[in-house]
Amino acid sequence: MNIIETNHLTKSYAGFTAVSNVSLHIPKGTVYGFLGPNGAGKSTTMKMFLGLTKPTDGDFLIDGKKYPKDRIEILKEVGSFIEAPSFYGNLTGEENLDIVRRILGLPKSAVDDALELTGLTQWRKRLARKYSLGMKQRLGLASALIGRPPILILDEPTNGLDPVGIHEIRSLIRSLPEKLQCTVLVSSHLLSEIELMADNIGILNHGRLLFEGTLKELKQGAEMKGYDADNLEDTFLAMIEEDNFQRGGAR
Amino acid sequence: MNTILEYKKIKRTGVLPGCLLGGCLAAFVPILELAVRSEQYVGISKPPLQIILQADWQMMAMLNMLLVIVISCMMYHSEYADNAIQRITTLPVREEEIFIGKTILLAGMCIVLLVIEMLSLIFCTLHWFGGADGAFIKDLLQNFGYSFCMLLPVAIISLMAASAWKNMWIPLGIDVVCVFMATMIPVKYFALSIFPFALPFQILEGAKAGKVVSYLIAAAAEVLLIGAAEMIFLKVRRSLA
Amino acid sequence: MNFLTLLGVELKKIRRSRILLILGIAAVLLWLPSILNAHLNFDMQAEGISPEHNFFIQGFMGMAWFMFPASMVIGTVLLGQTERSNHGILRMLALPVSTAKLCMAKYIVLLTLAAVQMAMMTGMYFISAAIASQTQDYEFLLPPLFVLKEVLLMYVSAVPMTAFFWMLSVCIQTPIFSVGIGLASIVPSVLMINTRMWFVYPMDYPFYVITAKYGELASNLTETEMELIPWLPVAVGFTGVCMAVAVVCFGRSERR
Repeated sequence: MNIIETNHLTKSYAGFTAVSNVSLHIPKGTVYGFLGPNGAGKSTTMKMFLGLTKPTDGDFLIDGKKYPKDRIEILKEVGSFIEAPSFYGNLTGEENLDIVRRILGLPKSAVDDALELTGLTQWRKRLARKYSLGMKQRLGLASALIGRPPILILDEPTNGLDPVGIHEIRSLIRSLPEKLQCTVLVSSHLLSEIELMADNIGILNHGRLLFEGTLKELKQGAEMKGYDADNLEDTFLAMIEEDNFQRGGAR
Repeated sequence: MNTILEYKKIKRTGVLPGCLLGGCLAAFVPILELAVRSEQYVGISKPPLQIILQADWQMMAMLNMLLVIVISCMMYHSEYADNAIQRITTLPVREEEIFIGKTILLAGMCIVLLVIEMLSLIFCTLHWFGGADGAFIKDLLQNFGYSFCMLLPVAIISLMAASAWKNMWIPLGIDVVCVFMATMIPVKYFALSIFPFALPFQILEGAKAGKVVSYLIAAAAEVLLIGAAEMIFLKVRRSLA
Repeated sequence: MNFLTLLGVELKKIRRSRILLILGIAAVLLWLPSILNAHLNFDMQAEGISPEHNFFIQGFMGMAWFMFPASMVIGTVLLGQTERSNHGILRMLALPVSTAKLCMAKYIVLLTLAAVQMAMMTGMYFISAAIASQTQDYEFLLPPLFVLKEVLLMYVSAVPMTAFFWMLSVCIQTPIFSVGIGLASIVPSVLMINTRMWFVYPMDYPFYVITAKYGELASNLTETEMELIPWLPVAVGFTGVCMAVAVVCFGRSERR
């Protein structure tokens, strides 16, 4: 069963299309890796799911609910982490989470739970603006995980983290479907990273969906086209390059 | 050269349209006042310029000051916002030159402001008091020249404040409070009325010649003093950094 | 989602934002000149007002015409900054809350700040009147009930003005411009209170209220009428329009 489905989703700004005709299928209880170079439209798609921007065309269903009619209902089920972490610098990490907790109407223990999950417990009393980049990133994750929502939308959650942090966050995301029985949509511009986390992959370039399927299918497809299946990063680069070339040719 | 560079920096920050709009707003004050209650003023047997300035200059001067303050904060904010100043200071240019460039540019904008207001006064005189002769124009130019001199200390001190803090709200807050304090100063004390933020309230029309000279001297002294203080401040900050 | 919870959340957000400190400084600065110039209150024969009344009126005039509106302008910006500086607003918009409610809750916070500011300035009045009484050897303190009634009236009359400032800070993305326009809009109050059309300019309401009191207390000044019609409908309508615009604009640029 697909928990998120999009149908020819399109977003264009004046003179440029950020997302074009994208139809995604995200199965329930899996980690879905959303892959693409910078500016491919990953963030825009995720923002549309959260009602932060309106689709120009097409629509999407999240757990059977439709935007904009069920915006509030959708947001109740989704934990999100979008772009550079969003927080209140004048509040401590704990206070930031408490604000989200109160709005979601969760019990007090949810804050501790989220702090624990992201390993922020010892920094809970520090002001968020004094956090290091990694801690800010964790705070963003904690505020997405708080209350253990059934759907998680995470935009480049490992950006700016050190190798140890990246590893920790990856393992955390990998374990989430099992631990919290949730579905995770996570974006990245590194295939090597997605490879380690995701069950399913969608590849986006210049707003268009180039590939959607399992890792296995991607490998098979790569072999058929004669790419080196052991080095998926090359496959990804080759796909992007080919697409860019075709787009250039079409112009 | 520097001033042209500074002018380029404020492109698309909205400072220029803001300056023009602010000038128009201040210029609108006497028009509005006369439109609403010209009957109180037209009968008075004083030069029209004196009538208008005495009735409205307080407000116009205040608007001018607020505008100058906002613009000065904006000018330095564009340096600090994305750390542009860091790049600039690593170039072979002195921060002092940047400050001087900005001062000249801001002074230029003050002239633009005052010219807009002058045009409005010409309009008011023609419309409500009938006729503006050569003597009137000469008077007007003298008055606005004087007003320009009175406004300069505010321009330079607010630029100094803006250059001192990264967070633009601090100088803005200080300046606004200073403007307020200036409005509370009783007029009869000369020593208090040369407070930089109180100077722009002075009018040439109807003032005694001796007083005018002392105010001009005070304004010039303030400009030099504040300028010198800024130079020292920048030097000290650089050596401490 | 309960509106009161949301209000609690919004109040929590301004912790450590130093807004209260700034409001406090403004309150102190407001009364400082009054204490220093307390002796001037005895030269008011032309207006025919008693020194203690003049002390009260002059101070509160300074507050109503500039210090209070300016503090509110700064307050709206600081409220906006807490949301924008680290993208806090993005997090809020991705939570199941209606933006209209969020906008209203923030406005209530602003009104709360306004009340705190008024309270501080009134507190400072009592302190500075007590100090002036000592230095001038003359009783400047007025009965608290008289003072509080006037302050309350000014507070209520300031509601449309705060709505206007709130609208400015929500709709104008560059905070310095919303501040500039806000501050500039304060200045013409002096002109407007002297016209018959004073009620069309909400920024002058508190100033008008205190000026009317001045006219009442000073025997040689003409009394200013405070008629509720058409003032009240204009004020209510203006507040409504400002809030409607603010609600529509709120968070708009973040969800483009």
